Amino acid sequence: MANDVFVTGLGVISSIGTGVEANWDALAGGISGITKSSVYGLDEGFPVGEVKLNNQQLCENFDITISPVSRTTLLGVAAAKEAWGNQQVIPGIRTGVIAATSVGGMDQSERFYSQWLKGDASEMGLLACHDSGISAEIIAGRLGISGYVTTLSTACSSGANAILLGARLIRSGRLDRVVVGGMDALCRFTIQGFNSLMIYDKEWCRPFDAGRAGLNLGEGAGFLLLENEKSMQMSGTVPYGLFGGGANAADAYHQTASSPDGKGATLAMAEALQKAGLQPSDIDYVNAHGTGTQNNDLSESAALKNIFGEKIPAFSSTKGYTGHTLAAAGAVEAVFAMLCLKNSAVLPNINFRKPIEETGLVPVTEWQSMPVRAILSNSFGFGGNNTALVFTRL
Amino acid sequence: MFYINAASTLSHQPSFMNPGFSASLVPLSGEEMMQPVAYKDYIEGNLLRRMSRILRMGVVCAKECLKTDHNLEKLIQPDAILVGTGLGCLADTEKFLNTYLTVEGMLPPTSFIQSTHNTIAGQISLTLGNHSYNMTHTQNSLSFEHAMLDGMVGLTEGKGDLLVGGADEKIELLDTVAEAFDFSEFPLSTGVSFFRLSSRKNEETLGRVADVEVVTGVQDPEKALHEFLSGNNCAPSDISKIFYQAPRHDYLMKNKSGMPGEWINSIAFSGLYATASAFAFHMALDEMSRAKDHCKILIYNHLNPNNLGLVLLESVEA
Repeated sequence: MANDVFVTGLGVISSIGTGVEANWDALAGGISGITKSSVYGLDEGFPVGEVKLNNQQLCENFDITISPVSRTTLLGVAAAKEAWGNQQVIPGIRTGVIAATSVGGMDQSERFYSQWLKGDASEMGLLACHDSGISAEIIAGRLGISGYVTTLSTACSSGANAILLGARLIRSGRLDRVVVGGMDALCRFTIQGFNSLMIYDKEWCRPFDAGRAGLNLGEGAGFLLLENEKSMQMSGTVPYGLFGGGANAADAYHQTASSPDGKGATLAMAEALQKAGLQPSDIDYVNAHGTGTQNNDLSESAALKNIFGEKIPAFSSTKGYTGHTLAAAGAVEAVFAMLCLKNSAVLPNINFRKPIEETGLVPVTEWQSMPVRAILSNSFGFGGNNTALVFTRL
Repeated sequence: MFYINAASTLSHQPSFMNPGFSASLVPLSGEEMMQPVAYKDYIEGNLLRRMSRILRMGVVCAKECLKTDHNLEKLIQPDAILVGTGLGCLADTEKFLNTYLTVEGMLPPTSFIQSTHNTIAGQISLTLGNHSYNMTHTQNSLSFEHAMLDGMVGLTEGKGDLLVGGADEKIELLDTVAEAFDFSEFPLSTGVSFFRLSSRKNEETLGRVADVEVVTGVQDPEKALHEFLSGNNCAPSDISKIFYQAPRHDYLMKNKSGMPGEWINSIAFSGLYATASAFAFHMALDEMSRAKDHCKILIYNHLNPNNLGLVLLESVEA
């Protein structure tokens, strides 16, 4: 149909691997990327999901010569290049880029600022990376795309919102295809921030488990190529599946905490299903936001019950693999969702032992091969920013 | 059709609750204070104390745009809240940097919470108890234009009244950075503007947005401009004024682009900040709502040489 939005390219880099294949292999093998502490000099004592390449290796592997450049940009370029593949800019196919980041080049800003506090202004040039929009512009430049390029920043739902906006722009007729995704590098700013909120687990995170004690941060990037039918015919791509529909809703409860009844999450999921023209019973798998914090997992469980009643589909959080990659999370998990559709499998929620008492929900704990026709993917962020996306098989 | 039915700006100029303000503006010297506002009329005391400056400003401008019958108790619930911000909540970002880089032990989380770019849009949804689409664009000089475009797409999807704004705040460190890199001849400043966007015209309509175009990686701004105008069936001579944004005084020496209208660098009035085109947007609407004749005004945003923003505004019959 003229209104269809096809997912025709995928790219991902995370602590479990560089590239789609490596990530899928790690997911299938049950291998987490979270390590007890940082290899790259971040604060001690915080388990993190680091991408196992340093900045120099990222520059070399992805042929990036820009300087100064933030790690966030490097990760974004890596995933966006993979999603774009061998595509070319074609006259007549309006192509855009929508990237997402929560803290942009904070890894460089904090480097400057710690010197600045000591009276040393020599690294001020690093602040060029502080503009959160710069990563999207560098990505667009690398792919040869100009014109519509924007960046969304809605904390932990940013990546999902980039996908949603991309699909809306295609459906509205403003674009024919769009590279969409999210990226965030680990930095002390976010580690210390989540720790100040007392929601950083010093142990390996346990999403949806009764004994969960917070999140582990991760880093990475996920990108997708979305196209309409005309663009797909001209570019010769083969779709992985369809973007069915999506929605964003505000929880309007608290600046950081989610409402106990999961109001915003429920609204987002209900509207996403409606936009996709699906019933709750059509959903075979939910890739949950599932950060491992007391608050999120309880609120999300309540929202799942609001939508699905007693018939909760197979669901899991993959944050035990990757850590919470903030603005990248929604996009990384959308890539995982597309791979689940393609490979007819659902992913285990590692570290789950005992259900949350109030809701009793039990996620998928083992790798399962099963027919998957439609997936719901949740992403919730600070400011009560809730997004749900539906992906379907062709 | 995309109508602007309300506008509100807090700035270093007398722009707030002052229709006609554009007629008497003088360029900023950099010494002007922010226009004072009675925050407590808009925000309950406990909340107000915790809120940072940019959040207060955002909530005030949002409420001004949503009130009906001049009554702050009767607010319209928008179908979407869209904010553009180039550098986000800088004061709290710097505050949290200072905290964790200098303080040992448990840290207070407030500045971390308020440092996130989407705190402004999130705070507005909280204040209004609003559950609709809530989005924050951050594309340096084009952040406001992107928020506006998102809103226009929202209207074509059938949404009703939408709240669209631009917000950026200055911190002292920016002056040092601007000086080190020689990037502006104008004072840096803080500004917040919000607008109510609607597909329906009413007696308060200030003007309409004919079109918005955003070009990142712009090679030939002149060509992009003329394609934009012809795409909107508009001749260069139809445009009476061009409010442009550029960081230098001599920008026009090479950039008049065959446009006979009056070129006005709005940065001289608003000061420089990433979403200063939102101030120009309000200035243009203010002029239009006073103009006797039908007119078209262009906002030409070339603050960042890599990016071009074009907004075509048109007056509407009362």
